[in-house]
Amino acid sequence: MTRPQPVIELHGLGLHIGDTPILRNLNLTVEAGEVIGIHGGNGSGKTTLLRVAATLLGPTEGSGTVLGADLFGDGRFTVRSQIEMIGHAPALYPQLTLEENTAFVATVTGRSQNRVGEALDKVGLGGARHRRVDQCSHGMQRRAEFARVLLTGPDLLLLDEAHAGLDPEAADLVSVITNLTTTRGGAVILVTHDAARAAAIVDRAYETEAGHLRDLGEDR
Amino acid sequence: MGFWRQARAVARKELIAEIRTGEVLLITAPFGAVVLLLIPLAIGTDRPLLTRIGPGMYWVVVLVFGIMVALRQSAIDGPPQRDLMGLLGLDPAARFVGQAGATFLLLLLFEAILAPVAGALYDPQLSGWAWPALLALLPMFAFGLALLGTLAGWLTVSLTTGRSLVPLMVTPLSVPLLLSATQALEGLRLQASITGWIVLLLTLDLTLALVCVLSARSLEEAAR
Amino acid sequence: MMSSLVISLLLPPEQIQGHLSKMLFVHVPSIYLAYVAFGVTLVGSAAYLATKNLKWDRLAGASGEVGVFFTGLAILLGMTWAKPTWGVWWTWDARLVLTAVMFFVYLSYVALRRAIPDRVMRARRAGVFGVLAIVQIPLVHFSVIWWRTLHQPPSLTRPGPIQMDGPYVAALLVAVMAFTLLYVVLINRRIELSKIEAAIEDAFLTTDTAVAGAAVSAPRFDRLEDDDV
Repeated sequence: MTRPQPVIELHGLGLHIGDTPILRNLNLTVEAGEVIGIHGGNGSGKTTLLRVAATLLGPTEGSGTVLGADLFGDGRFTVRSQIEMIGHAPALYPQLTLEENTAFVATVTGRSQNRVGEALDKVGLGGARHRRVDQCSHGMQRRAEFARVLLTGPDLLLLDEAHAGLDPEAADLVSVITNLTTTRGGAVILVTHDAARAAAIVDRAYETEAGHLRDLGEDR
Repeated sequence: MGFWRQARAVARKELIAEIRTGEVLLITAPFGAVVLLLIPLAIGTDRPLLTRIGPGMYWVVVLVFGIMVALRQSAIDGPPQRDLMGLLGLDPAARFVGQAGATFLLLLLFEAILAPVAGALYDPQLSGWAWPALLALLPMFAFGLALLGTLAGWLTVSLTTGRSLVPLMVTPLSVPLLLSATQALEGLRLQASITGWIVLLLTLDLTLALVCVLSARSLEEAAR
Repeated sequence: MMSSLVISLLLPPEQIQGHLSKMLFVHVPSIYLAYVAFGVTLVGSAAYLATKNLKWDRLAGASGEVGVFFTGLAILLGMTWAKPTWGVWWTWDARLVLTAVMFFVYLSYVALRRAIPDRVMRARRAGVFGVLAIVQIPLVHFSVIWWRTLHQPPSLTRPGPIQMDGPYVAALLVAVMAFTLLYVVLINRRIELSKIEAAIEDAFLTTDTAVAGAAVSAPRFDRLEDDDV
C-alpha cells in the first residue's frame, strides 16, 4: 500500500528563531518507502529539521507538506498521530514503569492493551517491564521508545541519534523498526553521526550545510 | 468517547507519578501545616482571636500552598514529553482536563489534610451548617484553583521564570475564590444566607472551565 | 502632546477650594484611565486571538504597560489623599482594594510578556491571559464590592462626593480629557517602539546573515595538544 504522494516535500524552507536563522532555503523530497540519512556538524540544524518534519516546529519561510498536510496550515495537527520521533532525551515519564509508559501510549492512541506486553517483549524488555524509568539505563529507555514505535506503527519515523548508547543487539532494533516502517509504505529520516551503521540502512544521504541540505548521493 | 479516555489516561498518569514522588503528601502539606502553626506564634495565641481568624487562615494557606500543588515537580513536563503528547495525537483539551483533574484531586487531599490541623490549632467553632457547606465549598474551591493553576502553568511552560510567575498570575485572579469561601463560612456563623457566595463560586468555576478548554489548542501551539 | 500634560497640571492652581480636593483632578482621571487601559488590553488580547494580527498584540501590550503606570499612580494618589483626609494610608474601601487587585493583575500580565522573547509566542500566551482576566475581573469586582457592603464599618464612611459646581465639573472634564490624551500619546509611543523592535529583529534576517550553525567550526586539534591553555 504505497502512498502516491511524497511523504515529505520541502521547498525553499526556512526557519528563524528571533533574529537567528537556523534553516535556510532547504529542499527535500522523501518518497514512500525511503530511508534518508542526515549528517552534519553540531549545531547545524539537524534536530531542528527533524522537528519541522515532525510538524512540532513551524517553519517561517518557504513551503512544505508532510504526509500531505501543509506545514503552514491546520492540517498538520491531524497528521501528527501518524508521525513518531525518537529524540535525544527519552520521551518517558520517569516515575512510571516501562509498562505504564507504554500502556499510557496505548490508551491515548486507542491501541489494545494486549499489545503493550508484546511490544516490550519484542524489544527485550519483557523482564524489566515493572521497573521505573528513572531506574533504567539509557539503553533500556531507548528500547522502550522502540517499543512505543512498534505499538504505534507510524507512517513517518524520525530518529535523532538513535544508535547512541545502544549495545549491538539493541542497535539492530533500529534497522528492524526502520524496515517495518518502510515495508508498510512509510518513510524514515535518520539523523546520525554513526556513518557506518547509517550506510547499511540508508537509501540517500544528505549533509546539513549553511542551513540547507547538500546531497551526498545514493547509498547502496 | 476518545476525549474522556485520553483525559482519564493523563490524569491517571499524573496521579501515579505524584504518588510515587510523594511531594504533595509528604512535603507541601506539612509545609502548609507548619505555616498554620507559625501564624499564632507571630500574632498571638488568645483563643477568641484564633477562633475568629482560623477559617480565613485556612483558606489563605490552602490557596497559596495549593498553587504549589499545581506546580509540583511530577506535573512538570519536559520538552520530550510535550513533543510526545503532541505526536500521540493527544487532544490538548483532553490533556488539560486530565492535568487539571489530577491537580483537583490532589488539592482535595491537601484540603482534607490541612483541615484538621487548622481545626485543632484555631478551634474555629463552626456552626452546624458549616459542615455540609464545607462539603460543597472544598471541592468548588479546589476546582477553581486547579483550573487557574493548570492554566497558568500552561501559559508559563518552558519559561525560565515560569515557576515564579504562576503564583503572581494566580493570586490576584483568585480573589473571588477566596472571598466566596471565607464569606460563606462567615455568613454561616452569622446565620446569614450564603447562596449568593455559592452561586458566585459556581459561576467562577464554570467560566474558568470554559476559558481553559477553549484556549487549550492555541496554548499548546504557543508552547512550541 | 506636551501641552495636554501641562494643562492638566496647571488646572489645580486655579481652584479656590482647599488644596487637597484638587487631588480629585489627578486621582479620578488616573483611576478612569486605569480601567480604560485595562479594557483596551483585554480587547486587544481577544482581537489578537481572533485575527492573529500582531498589531492587536502590540496594542494590548502597550496598554498593559501604560496601565500599570496609571493604576500605580491612582493608588499612590489615593493614599496621599487618604492620609490627611482620614488619617490612614490605606482603607479597605472596595474601590481601593479593586484598584490594588487590578494593579497586580496588570503587573503579572506585564511580567508574563517580559518573560517571553519570541513575539508570536508572547502574543498568543499573553492573549489567553488577557482573555482570562476579562472573564475574571467582573467576578473579582462583584465579590469585593459585595464583601465590603457586608462589612462596611460605619465610622469610616467615605466622604460624600464634593459638591460640584460648574467650574469644578468643567475642570474635571478637562483633566480627564488631558489624561486621556496623555494615555493615547503614551500608547502610541509604546506601539511605535514595539514596531521598531520587530523591524530590527526582521532586519537582522537578511540573506547575508549566517545561519546559527555557521558559528560552530571544527576543533583545533593542533592547538589542543599545547600544554598551556
